[in-house]
Amino acid sequence: MSPSPRVVKQAIQWMLRLRENGTSPALHAQCEQWRAADQQHELAWQRLHTLQQELNLRAVPGAGVALHTLEASSQRLHRRQALKLLGGVALVSSAGWLAKDLQLLDSWTSDYATATGERRSIRLPDGSLLQLNTHSAADLAFDAKQRLVHLKHGELMLTCAADSQGRPLLIRTRDTLVEGFDGRFVVRQHDNCTQVSVSQGSVAIHTAPGVALRWLRAGEAVQIDQRGITPIAQPNMDAGAWAEGLIVTRNMRLADFLAEVGRYRHGYVSYAGDIADLRLSGVYRLEDTDKLLQLLPQTLPVRVSYRTRWWVRLERMS
Amino acid sequence: MSPHDSVHTLYRHHHSWLNTWLRCRLGNAADAADLAQDTFVRLLQRREQLELSAPRAFLRTIARGLVIDHWRREELHRAYLEALAHLPEAAAPSPETRELLLELLERIARLLDGLKPKVRQAFLLAQCEGLSHKQIAEQMGISLRSVERHVADALYHCYLLRYEP
Repeated sequence: MSPSPRVVKQAIQWMLRLRENGTSPALHAQCEQWRAADQQHELAWQRLHTLQQELNLRAVPGAGVALHTLEASSQRLHRRQALKLLGGVALVSSAGWLAKDLQLLDSWTSDYATATGERRSIRLPDGSLLQLNTHSAADLAFDAKQRLVHLKHGELMLTCAADSQGRPLLIRTRDTLVEGFDGRFVVRQHDNCTQVSVSQGSVAIHTAPGVALRWLRAGEAVQIDQRGITPIAQPNMDAGAWAEGLIVTRNMRLADFLAEVGRYRHGYVSYAGDIADLRLSGVYRLEDTDKLLQLLPQTLPVRVSYRTRWWVRLERMS
Repeated sequence: MSPHDSVHTLYRHHHSWLNTWLRCRLGNAADAADLAQDTFVRLLQRREQLELSAPRAFLRTIARGLVIDHWRREELHRAYLEALAHLPEAAAPSPETRELLLELLERIARLLDGLKPKVRQAFLLAQCEGLSHKQIAEQMGISLRSVERHVADALYHCYLLRYEP
């Protein structure tokens, strides 16, 4: 078994205290005592010691340039990531656990974009209301013939207004073209499909030229991918609740719920396999996802621990 | 289906797409081909179940990590050579020492990835320059208490990556 976070942090405190006041025999004795008090203490201590040696630059000849090399290269690396791969915020990355897909270049070149955790409302020139959910980007192309919104990634909600010039209101995603008439609907582009959910009024889905439109009414939702249009019979989440700052679930798998919460957070939410299929129903506020996660143990047999600020882990309560 | 079979399926369906994706990021066909290969090698080494419901997102996540590793190595080499250029010739380390040091620097840079700049700086001043917390506080213009917290946070972060990935 690994030492608990508390023990590791204690070991770190001892190590730093000794490094700063290494000459005090009393301190050495106290530290010895702490190490001897518990096997876990000693294990944490030994691991830290090894880590210290692995990180010990001063033991390597020519390491005088290490600080400069590390700092300069890190700054450039972050600039490069920001430009080519990650966009503005550079985060824990090399371990590959920043599992958001980052088409953030889109965000720089789009008319409207949101960062992770951000939501935005935009009043369009025709009076319609466009709301963008977390980590989303969209372009507008309004001309004499049409009102076109191109959802480049992420999710939007549109509340349509009638157009004085009678132009159709179209939303394009990678998978489909959606036409809105009146009312309100949500379009979300996933990695491999697009979901459309109507909460008021009706929309039409255009799949290919010459193919009949597929009409959706209030309360209906579909998924569109290369294979075609599939109805979503019983959604386990309210598609548009995010616009009110909420996640509303009905019998949703915990794994899916955490993936959903992860969209609004920087960093990584991991969980043990044996809790993935727990189910939850409820209303959760998105404004503080740390607080949201802390609430889960009230209704589910799980506990939440933080490995770093960006790295949360959920496990079954023992 | 064994893990190897599923990797082969992934390879057949997505290898050329991944190659293109990497080439867009790296701007270089040879590096892209290498990293595409590495991505699949990583997959073969994984013991857990492959996540196949969104194969491209999954491949991209792994490939992105490798791209960052690749860039990190490049930037470290560049910054290191620049730093060496400022040293008197007699002080220049041997090629073996350089390799050793670069390897170590790369390991450290990976561990420190994701730390806030101040946390990172405080930690490096202690680790590379051997400064005391008090000296670091003066140099960075922050309180002694903050330095202690930063250095401890950084160590904890490294510990987790090293022992509980």
